[in-house]
Amino acid sequence: MKINAGSLKKGDFIRYSGDIWQVQKAEFYSPGKGSALMKSRIKNIMSAKNIDYAFKSNESVETLDVECIDMQYLYKDTESVYFMDQRTYNQYTLPLSVVGKAANFLKEEKSYFIYIHDDKALTMRPALSVKLKVIETEDAAKGDTVSGVKKPAIVETGVTVMVPIFIKVGDLITVNPETGEYGERVKE
Amino acid sequence: MNIYTAIQNLANYKKYLQVEEFTHTYLKKKGYLKTDLPVLSPALIPESYLEVFETELRHNKIYHKLYLTPSPELFLKRLLAYGAGNCYCLGKAFRNADPSGGLHMPEFTMLEFYKTKANYMDIASEVLSLLRFIADNMTGGEQISYQGKRVTFSRWEKISVIQAFFKYAGITEKELFNHRLFLKIASKKGYKTHGFTYQDLFSQIYVQEIEPHLGKGGYPTLIYDYPKEFAALAKLNTDGRTAQRFEFYIEGVELGDCYTELTDANEQKKRFIHEQKLRKQLKKKTHPVDKGLVQALEYGLTDCAGIAIGFERMAMIFADVTSIAELKLIHINI
Repeated sequence: MKINAGSLKKGDFIRYSGDIWQVQKAEFYSPGKGSALMKSRIKNIMSAKNIDYAFKSNESVETLDVECIDMQYLYKDTESVYFMDQRTYNQYTLPLSVVGKAANFLKEEKSYFIYIHDDKALTMRPALSVKLKVIETEDAAKGDTVSGVKKPAIVETGVTVMVPIFIKVGDLITVNPETGEYGERVKE
Repeated sequence: MNIYTAIQNLANYKKYLQVEEFTHTYLKKKGYLKTDLPVLSPALIPESYLEVFETELRHNKIYHKLYLTPSPELFLKRLLAYGAGNCYCLGKAFRNADPSGGLHMPEFTMLEFYKTKANYMDIASEVLSLLRFIADNMTGGEQISYQGKRVTFSRWEKISVIQAFFKYAGITEKELFNHRLFLKIASKKGYKTHGFTYQDLFSQIYVQEIEPHLGKGGYPTLIYDYPKEFAALAKLNTDGRTAQRFEFYIEGVELGDCYTELTDANEQKKRFIHEQKLRKQLKKKTHPVDKGLVQALEYGLTDCAGIAIGFERMAMIFADVTSIAELKLIHINI
């Protein structure tokens, strides 16, 4: 569908110079020198790269009809991540490069939101944090209470996260799947 | 749409009040007359790109259309023509279709001041001196810290529009002033040009490629001498193709817009008619043209220059916040 760039909003998917992008930010701007503009930050869904672009507010932009579907994570290999739509049992594939770091924190049988266009998976909707169980980490040396010191811990998905020294095996922690950073210790 | 109360902004709001107080103190000290002006007017200055708010007064079943003023310029210029001398207004201004974002609000506060027997560069000195006065009263020096960066008000970083287009967009002086060449180079850069004007593309490239660099060097940036197409009310330079207009920026944020005022009433009338025609083409709400202002100009506008400053944006810099909303105790969220 073609719309005026002036109506773009956060979350919209657009086609721009041949690629598919998701709008991260769109702010109307009237510089008082010619036409009003839509200052936007758009993310290329293949490369996950963000760029800033000022569209003329009355320039037409092609938006894509995109659905967000809750899907079960199946498995991943060296190239792709596989999901299943639990209503239709159809399988969808996303390249690892599109999922990014978040692929390290996917738990089998859990479900995630996947964006679908023309029956093809575009990308995964990023979660702000995921809860993961610590399966391996060294106990802190007694008396080692310097704050801010971190140590590695392996979580249930098999990847290593830097955590504060008070974290023990069996603790449940939150991790930002986009950055891989530790958030906090939580209860079940 | 809802009414948003943000008492957590109290500390920022108090900084805003300080900036307001020091601005009044400075302008009073420099002999500018403080004016209190209407915000409802039956006629406006035609400016092609502005969307206006329209309302009406009902009196004895007769309806009078009124418009919320997008700036106090039409009133201040009358006062100047009839001899009020240096004057200013710090009050509300209205721009329709500006949604509430970080740097915009449909209802905002504008500082507009005029100095007689002055040109745009005299106003530039006055603005720098005002910024220094506010900084000095708030921090005890000519420096402030904005978003972790130091900004010093000891001098301007000056760049002309011609220099900026060459430095940041690789567009030569020849290409900048030749509409056909300019559209060609814009198209080569990947911008959509079909059905768009020189003004549209100038604006887009300015925002996309120039603006992000302005005011980033530790000093406020003054960018000056715009092509005459972008200065409906400004005096032309002797080169005949640029106008005496400047804008100033701190950390990529545009804070103010200044002209040496056009004093030729006939030329002014011509430009008004042109702007009004453009408004119709652009399908903007039409409004009566302020003929009283043209009359006042015929009476004789003295040589003068003036500036409009987005007052919340200026206060944002001193309060070290990145959006207008953070200065407000109450605002309308759209």
